[in-house]
Amino acid sequence: MKPAAASRKRPRKYRQLAHTADLGLRIWGASREELFENAGAALMGVLTDRRRLRRRKTAEILLDASDLEALLVAWLNYLLYLYDVDAFLGREFKVLELTPQRLAAQARGETYDPGRHVSRTAVKAATYHHLEIVKRNGRWQATVILDL
Amino acid sequence: MATQVKLRQVDEYRWEIPREGKMRTRGLIFTSQRMLAKIQEDQSLQQVANVATLPGIEGASLAMPDIHWGYGFPIGGVAAFNLDEGVVSPGGVGYDINCGVRLLRTNLQRPEVEPRIEELVNALFGNIPSGLGSRRKDLKLSAPTLHEVMRYGAGWAVKNGYGSKEDLAHIEAQGQIAGADPELVSDFAQDRGKDQLGTLGSGNHFVEVGHVLEVYDARLAAALGLFRDQVTVIVHTGSRGLGHQVCDDYIKVMLRAAAKYGIELPDRQLCCAPLSSPEGKQYLAAMAAAANFAFANRQMITHWVRESFEQVLHMGPKDLGLELVYDVAHNIAKIEDHHVNGKKKKLCVHRKGATRAFPPGHPETPPAYQQTGQPVLIPGDMGRYSFVLVGTEQALTETFGSTCHGAGREMSRHAALKVAKGRNIVRELAGKGIVVKGAGRGTIDEEIPEAYKDVEAVVAVAHGAGISKKVAKLKPLGVIKG
Repeated sequence: MKPAAASRKRPRKYRQLAHTADLGLRIWGASREELFENAGAALMGVLTDRRRLRRRKTAEILLDASDLEALLVAWLNYLLYLYDVDAFLGREFKVLELTPQRLAAQARGETYDPGRHVSRTAVKAATYHHLEIVKRNGRWQATVILDL
Repeated sequence: MATQVKLRQVDEYRWEIPREGKMRTRGLIFTSQRMLAKIQEDQSLQQVANVATLPGIEGASLAMPDIHWGYGFPIGGVAAFNLDEGVVSPGGVGYDINCGVRLLRTNLQRPEVEPRIEELVNALFGNIPSGLGSRRKDLKLSAPTLHEVMRYGAGWAVKNGYGSKEDLAHIEAQGQIAGADPELVSDFAQDRGKDQLGTLGSGNHFVEVGHVLEVYDARLAAALGLFRDQVTVIVHTGSRGLGHQVCDDYIKVMLRAAAKYGIELPDRQLCCAPLSSPEGKQYLAAMAAAANFAFANRQMITHWVRESFEQVLHMGPKDLGLELVYDVAHNIAKIEDHHVNGKKKKLCVHRKGATRAFPPGHPETPPAYQQTGQPVLIPGDMGRYSFVLVGTEQALTETFGSTCHGAGREMSRHAALKVAKGRNIVRELAGKGIVVKGAGRGTIDEEIPEAYKDVEAVVAVAHGAGISKKVAKLKPLGVIKG
C-alpha cells in the first residue's frame, strides 16, 4: 500500500490503494480543511469521472463525530447517503468549519445522469479499518478503506 | 503485506492459529496448501487472530476456505459468542446485511433457452434496476410500508403479490428474522431504502441464468429438484443502502459501547457491545430489520425474473416451473442453539461471507430438506461456475453449521482492471457462450473471472473437510451485473 513517489508541480490530492476485496484511499492536504475537501473528491473519483460533473446544485452538510478520524468516515458516508437518496454527486467541496468533532461543508455538483455520467465502482461505505489521519512533512495525510 | 501469524497444519484441509497473547481461543482455517500461499499474502489471518480476542467467543475463531482480507473481521469469517459474556459486532456481519443468494430451478432444458438467452438477459436487465445507486421509479415505499417490509421480510412481498407462500418455505428463517424493530432503523437508513426495494445494486451482485453442468450426487440432486442440463437462475444481492446505513449507524454506537463496557479492540472496525447490553440488543433488532428488507428484495427480484421468463418465452408459470430451491444469507448474525463441549448453548453466530449449512434432521432445516440437509448456494465468478451443496453434521459440530460463501477475490479491483485493460471482457465471455450485460463497464472489468479464486478449489476444501457436501455444478449462460 505504498504510494509511488510522485514528482509533479501540483501536490497530489489523493491516490487509490489496492486492497484485495475493497479499495483504499490515501488523501493529502495542506490543511485539515483541504484534506477533507480532497477526501470528498477522492470518493467521487471512485464512483464516477468527476470532470463530467457540472456545478448545478449545492448541498449544505453539517456533521458531528467523536474525533477527527471518525468525522472523516462520517463525511464520506454522508456523501454516499446523498448519492443514494438524491443521486447527488459532488464536483467541488468546500469546508466552512472544521473542529475535531464538527464539520460544516458545502458540496457543489449535480444529479447523476446515466446518459452523461460514467458509472464506475459502487461504494457501500467508508470503514474504520486501518483508518488514520497523520501530519507528515508538514502535510496532512489520511488513509481510509472503502467497502465495495 | 505478509502476515507474521503463526500457523500449524492440522490435516489436509485445516490449519490452526495457536492461542497466543490476547487471543481467548485458537483460530481455525479451512483451506488447502495451494490456496494458503495466497491467503498469507494479506492480513486475513491476523484478522482471524483479532476476532479470537473478543469476549465470550465460543469454539475457535473460524475462517472458511474463501477467506480473504476484509475490514475488521475477515471475509469468510465465522465466530460464535455466548449470550452472557459474548458480544455482537456489526463489523462481523458487514455493511451489506443479509447479502445472500437464492437459486431457482425451472422445467426447462438448456437447448430451449440458449437461443433466446440474449433476449432474456435484456428483459432481465430492463425489469430489474441495477448499477450504481439503482432505484425503482415505479415503487417508492411510504414510511409505514417500509416498516412492514422490515418487520415481515419476504412474507411482506408474498402478501403483496410478489411470489407464493410456497416460496417462503424455501428461504432461510422463512424470509423473516424474528425480533426486527424498524423503530431502531434511522431515518437516514429508511431514506436510502425507500426506492431501492427490488433493485440489484452494483459490485459483485448479479442475476444469472445458468444450467446444471454436472451432478455429483444423483439422490441429493433429485431431492432438490435438479437434473443435468436443467436451466437455473441465481439471484445475488442484499439490503442495499438501507443495510449499509444500519451498519454505519451502529458502528458509531458500538465504538462508544466498546469504550463504555471496557472492551479492548485490536481494530476499531471490530467494535462491539455485549449481547446482554441495550446497545447489543438494539443492533440485533435493527440488523434483523435490514435482513428482512434484503429477503423482501430478493423475493421481489424473483417476481421480475419470473415475469421476464414469461415475456420472452411466452410460457405460463406452470410450464416454466420457476420454483425456489433455497435462499441463504451470507452476511448475518443469528441466535442459534449449538452444542459446545457436549453442552447445549444459545449462541450468536456471526457469518461474514459465510453460509449456514445445517444438516439433515436439524429443526431449522426446512421440512423439504429434512432428508438431504439444508441447500447451500455458492456463486462463482461470472465466467466459470457456481455450486449447490448441502449442509452436514460435521459442519454443525465443527463450524457452528457454516461453510464457504463464494469464490473470494484473489486480485484487487485495481489489479483486475489492469488485467482487463485493452480487452473486451463482454466479447470474451460471449465467446465462451456467456452473455453479460452490466450497467457499467468498470464493474464487468473489475469482476473478470481471473480476479477470483477458482470456486471449484474453494468448494473442494469445504467438501473434503466435510463441512458441506457437493450436489451439483452450474454454469452461466447469461448474467446481468450491477
